[in-house]
Amino acid sequence: MKKISILLLFFAFSACQKDFLEKKPIVGITEENFYRTEADAIAAVNAAYATLQFQISPAGHFRWFWGDIMSDDAVKGGSGDNDVNSLLQLETFLGPTNTDLLESEWGANYEGIYRANVVLEKVPAISMDDDLKARILGEAKFIRAWNFYNLVTMFGGVPLADRVLAPSEYNLPRASADEVWALIEKDLTEASADLWLRSEYSAADLGRITKGAAQALLVKTYLWRQKWQEAKTVAAEIIASNEYELTPNYADIFTIDGENNSESVFEIQYMNASGGNWGKNNANEGSFTNVFQRARGQFAGFGFNIPTQNFVDEFFKEGFEDPRLKSTVFRVGEPMGDRGTFTLAATGDMPHVFYPKKYFNSKTEDAPFGDPSPNGGSNDRVIRFSDVLLMHAEAAFQSGDEAAARISLNRVRARVNIPAVNASGTALLDAIYRERRIELGLEAHRFFDLVRTGRAPQVLGSLGFTAGTHELFPIPQSQILATNGVLRQNPGY
Amino acid sequence: MRIYLSIFCMIFAGVLSAQSRVAGKVTLAADKEAAIGATIQVKGTNIGAVTDIEGNYSVNVPNTQAILVFSYTGFATQEIEVGNQTTINVALSESASQLDEIVVTGYGAQKRSNISGSVATVSAAEIAERPILRVEQALQGRTAGVQIAQNSGSPGSTLSVRVRGVGTINNADPLYIVDGIPVDGLDFLNPNDIETINVLKDAASAAIYGSRGANGVVLITTKGGKRNQDGKISYEAYQGLQRASRFVDLLTAQEYAVLQSEAYIAAGKTPLPEFVYPAALGEGTNWQEAIFQTAPIASHQLTMTGGSERSAYTISGNYFSQDGIVGGDKANFQRGTVRFNGVNDLKKWLTVGNNLGFTWLERQGLSENNQYNSPLIRALNMDPITPIHKADGTYAYSNYSSTDIANPVNGIEQTYNTWRSNRFVGSVFADVKLAKGLTFRSAFSLDATFAVQRGFNPKYDLSNISSISEAPVAEKSLINSVSVGNNTWRNWQLENVLTYQTQIAGEHNLTFIGGTTALENRYDGSGGANTNLPSNDPKDAYISNTIDPIASQSAYQFASESSLLSYFTKANYDWNNTLLFSATLRADGSSRFGKNNRFGYFPSFSAGWVASHASFWKVDAVNFLKVRASWGQNGNDRIGDYAFTTVVNNGQNYTFSNDQIITNGAVALTSANPDLQWETSTQTDIGIDAELLDGRIQFTTDYYIKKTSDMLYAAPIPLVAGTAPPIQNVATAENRGWELALSYRNFDNALRYSVGGNVAFVKSEVTSLGRGGEPVFSGFVQSANANASKTDVGQPLASFFGFVTDGIFQNQSEVEAAAFQSNETKPGDIRFKDLDGNGVIDADDRTWIGNPTPAFTYGFNADLQWKGFELNMFFQGTHGNDIYVNTTRFDFPFVNRPASSLGRWTGEGTSNTEPRVSLTDPNQNARVSDRFVEDGSYLRLKTIQLGYNLPKAWLKKVRFEKMKIYVTGQNMLTFTKYSGLDPEIGSVGGSLELGIDRGFYPQARTVLGGVSLTF
Repeated sequence: MKKISILLLFFAFSACQKDFLEKKPIVGITEENFYRTEADAIAAVNAAYATLQFQISPAGHFRWFWGDIMSDDAVKGGSGDNDVNSLLQLETFLGPTNTDLLESEWGANYEGIYRANVVLEKVPAISMDDDLKARILGEAKFIRAWNFYNLVTMFGGVPLADRVLAPSEYNLPRASADEVWALIEKDLTEASADLWLRSEYSAADLGRITKGAAQALLVKTYLWRQKWQEAKTVAAEIIASNEYELTPNYADIFTIDGENNSESVFEIQYMNASGGNWGKNNANEGSFTNVFQRARGQFAGFGFNIPTQNFVDEFFKEGFEDPRLKSTVFRVGEPMGDRGTFTLAATGDMPHVFYPKKYFNSKTEDAPFGDPSPNGGSNDRVIRFSDVLLMHAEAAFQSGDEAAARISLNRVRARVNIPAVNASGTALLDAIYRERRIELGLEAHRFFDLVRTGRAPQVLGSLGFTAGTHELFPIPQSQILATNGVLRQNPGY
Repeated sequence: MRIYLSIFCMIFAGVLSAQSRVAGKVTLAADKEAAIGATIQVKGTNIGAVTDIEGNYSVNVPNTQAILVFSYTGFATQEIEVGNQTTINVALSESASQLDEIVVTGYGAQKRSNISGSVATVSAAEIAERPILRVEQALQGRTAGVQIAQNSGSPGSTLSVRVRGVGTINNADPLYIVDGIPVDGLDFLNPNDIETINVLKDAASAAIYGSRGANGVVLITTKGGKRNQDGKISYEAYQGLQRASRFVDLLTAQEYAVLQSEAYIAAGKTPLPEFVYPAALGEGTNWQEAIFQTAPIASHQLTMTGGSERSAYTISGNYFSQDGIVGGDKANFQRGTVRFNGVNDLKKWLTVGNNLGFTWLERQGLSENNQYNSPLIRALNMDPITPIHKADGTYAYSNYSSTDIANPVNGIEQTYNTWRSNRFVGSVFADVKLAKGLTFRSAFSLDATFAVQRGFNPKYDLSNISSISEAPVAEKSLINSVSVGNNTWRNWQLENVLTYQTQIAGEHNLTFIGGTTALENRYDGSGGANTNLPSNDPKDAYISNTIDPIASQSAYQFASESSLLSYFTKANYDWNNTLLFSATLRADGSSRFGKNNRFGYFPSFSAGWVASHASFWKVDAVNFLKVRASWGQNGNDRIGDYAFTTVVNNGQNYTFSNDQIITNGAVALTSANPDLQWETSTQTDIGIDAELLDGRIQFTTDYYIKKTSDMLYAAPIPLVAGTAPPIQNVATAENRGWELALSYRNFDNALRYSVGGNVAFVKSEVTSLGRGGEPVFSGFVQSANANASKTDVGQPLASFFGFVTDGIFQNQSEVEAAAFQSNETKPGDIRFKDLDGNGVIDADDRTWIGNPTPAFTYGFNADLQWKGFELNMFFQGTHGNDIYVNTTRFDFPFVNRPASSLGRWTGEGTSNTEPRVSLTDPNQNARVSDRFVEDGSYLRLKTIQLGYNLPKAWLKKVRFEKMKIYVTGQNMLTFTKYSGLDPEIGSVGGSLELGIDRGFYPQARTVLGGVSLTF
């Protein structure tokens, strides 16, 4: 009896060991005791939104670096070749693999993916309104898909961080591009089903991801995957939803009043009352695009993203000056808002005769900040309804429905009162492509459109583009080193 | 038990001839006293007896050839053949040998001769030799490879204890186990209550403590009673005075004025009028003399101990009080302890016991070892022109200094900071004899601390004209404030251990131990603060007395918990005390670690061969020789509770709506690490223990390699994580060391003496900081506004890193010929070496300029006894360590300077070491450089004691058993090249804050007189 009781004592702990060693923090906002309420869920997804704004983290990372400067529409600009020289090297396809530009692009996207993953892992367990929960999960899926979309279109297959990674998983190897695209498609399909319509959001929530935004990014995804029929169907659903309408006056789109207007499908929000957003971990909400793209000299900008003659010429190809040119490009002699008239002297004798206009802001719109180069607040118009229409046109054409293609294409042209296109066959496709270049000019689409449609070698070949290599950017060298070579470089670099 | 004995007797009776009975008395040769509890064994059998309270015994012997073995702890064993004798009286003489000493190891005890690991021991006798204030001091210089440094000389301050060097960039404190109870810190323990301290140095010895043993284990046993012993009462007391042993040589007022005038001129300014006639200023104020004082120290101890056949107990009480040599009673430390240790055999098969201790302590705290505003840094930097008092008797303030450097005497007077703690540390246990050789122990222990910290900042204003209150900010406090913090720690432990001991075929000795431990710690803290008390009397300093609104009150509350669940087993085997083997395995589950690594497994093996027991051993001079080797793994779990979890950061905002509404976002910016686990140290040790000349010469040496892996460090990670790097188990470090202890004792004659020494060499370096690991900078030095220490791969931890001086620019052409330093560099400035040769002195010209870790530490002692007189001397020192001197606040233009600045450069050829003085230091002569690195080696006469034991004949008349009077001197002599107050600098602020003197509170030179009597 004695011995039995002692043996019982001896092994008594085994029974309760699991609970005994579970010690969770008692006080403090830790992951263990956060994610309990509706407010926590909203704060969690807001933190994922915050990554959309990242611009300087730590190096400049702007969508227009890749979409415009890498294309035939614009060149780097700046104060000279040495001003962000690595961007010049990228632009001329000299392919440096160790630039912090690519590293911060890579890092910013994965930070967004991490935060979206946190939402997707933590929010489901919160007991809260089901509709709201579904919406928040949809927002997170969109944000995850958006970041993977950026990564896959720039780098090809990348590590598929479809969950919050444990430290033991940091050396995740690259997945295939197909696997990444599959996750994007899945996320966007699910998000489309759960997200609210734009009209269902309150005014205070304007700027949140909508069902339309998820569908539009899904259409883009289908175009990349050449799933023409699916692209056409989803694009048609967006059009039929009547949630969006083209802005009557093209020039209004890029004004402050034009932010989140009827044409806006996906817009990254910035504010002009809170300084620049220096990327990660910063509470400021402004944008650096304004100051980067403004002319130098009296315009107090950095003079980046200089439109090319080739780009400007495109606006004259139909025998008249496309009315959208004056909303897209500043030409010498034009007024630059309240900052004075564009002369070469006023730009500090920089050689450029064109400057980008869409993200120009007047002095009165600057952040009221002590900074000598105050920061702007222009929202980044990522997907507009005209883009949806043109994607619909392209998808319809590719799936054999030229009539539908022409209707959508001409709806875009009608807005700026230019003649309808009646072409068919290759000429119709060319017209759609051309319309994209003009309608969406300097909105960070061009380079990716060229790569997606296979026209890049032909159009950019003279700039150094090599087919089979430059469709993708190099994987940042620092990340190859940080994973002890688990990440493999893209071919040709 | 009796049954087994009978069986044995029957067997022997059958085999051998008729037994007979032998009786007698065992005495101690030295004083003819009875040897109580001495054992008598018939050699080669289990037959034996124990002497009673008179020293008498009787034993049945099987035959006349039988040999009786008389043994008694601390005395030489005697063997006597019985022959025809029926009465055998034996006088035992004291043994120099320590082979039979019983050494407490984890969850057991072993004879020293049978230990195959590396364990250092300090006994009560050694502790008694010199009054120590803190338990850790008992280890200093006594144990090879255990480096102790006082973190401050202020009363009640902590000590840093490093077993075999610092092997981690994280917490390097050893695990302290007092009577089986794991405790945090030893300040509660009264040194007089200690029976032995054993330090488990190698991994094999410490592995039984698993995830907590990587920094070594210090096992402390407190004094219990002995059975069969008359009751004894002893009283021990000492009283003494402490003083500073040296001052730093600083400028007098006159010298200060001369240098300040030059500094003004160098900066292109007109010197202040009072500097123009320096001679009128004289010596000025010696601020060191102003803050240092003679301070009392006292201890009183009463111990009662006794024991019957079935029980034994010790009851003790102690009161200790010490004032500080800086601050006096403002740095007072008082401690009262009571202890009750007892055991009682309730049944033949059951013994119960307890070790219960209660401690009350109170410490008045001054700001110390801080480079900003401690009394010491103020005294070393305050200009000597300012007097202590104004003419009206109130304290004066400096006309030059506006912030940190304020009147230190007033600063001390205005400090009211008290830490009061009540702590209970105790355990109750039961030992059950289950069968022959099989025992079971269950022990429950509790360590509960209730501590209150109270602070009061009074109102004061040193202004000359109070109406305009013109004194600088640091010299006035226009509103008073009060704060309180309540802290409760409650740690319990339940431990169950089975021990089986057996001997097979008379030559295979086997001990098997298996056990479990469950322990849980909880901390609760709360407190608050408020301002504006109507009374400026510290007695009224309670938050509820403040008149500011409750809204201005601050309050906080924390709590945290951790738990540990362990299973362990250990086997010791020896063959005829000649071949020794030991193996342990511990499995620790800890709540501190991520759920993927809750349990860790810690194995160890050790083996020894006692060559001197081998049959071929013929070297008589070497009576004992053992070679041993061990290997084992340990963990370090000192990472704080919940380190695997992460904090959610608010402020990750986004803007919604056309009205630009900023909305809060929240996410953990550093990711959780569910894989987080303990640091693991793997240690291999080989050693030799030897005794020569019947134990007169004792020799122990060890060589070890300790590799720490999985060291916790936030190393950079791939960006795919999306977060800042979490703490991961990535870095590694390696310590290699060699230890030697050698002593000679001679107890043969009336002059009994022993001399001994030990030395430990250790080299530690970081071998990896993980993938892409950035070096870790630490050791912030305000006067240079930079870090002085850097930890990087291939270097010792926290080595000094900075610029290298290359003499003084003697003229403008030398300035121009050298690498560019600054536009304002002028002759008289320091030339720094352009190590990268790029023509500019920049951050890339920094290099390793010093190592704060000693190449070796050592201690030696000499003890003499002659007819009741005793003389003990104990020296201790370090060699090869550097100290970064950061006691002058060069970032302020008005501070006083070391007297060495009198040798400054004043023109070509005047100095090539001491730069010109300037108010602005445009060349940054005060940057982190080898200019401030000094040799910190020292040798110190730590203790010298002269004692006299009164003759027993006299004592008998007053019924005293023993009485000793003594005088002791501490820190009486120090040999060092170091220019600061004290070269013995601890590690304040963690493993990477080493050897930087930021105004170290020096240790006192102390003279004590004491008495110890027993009746």
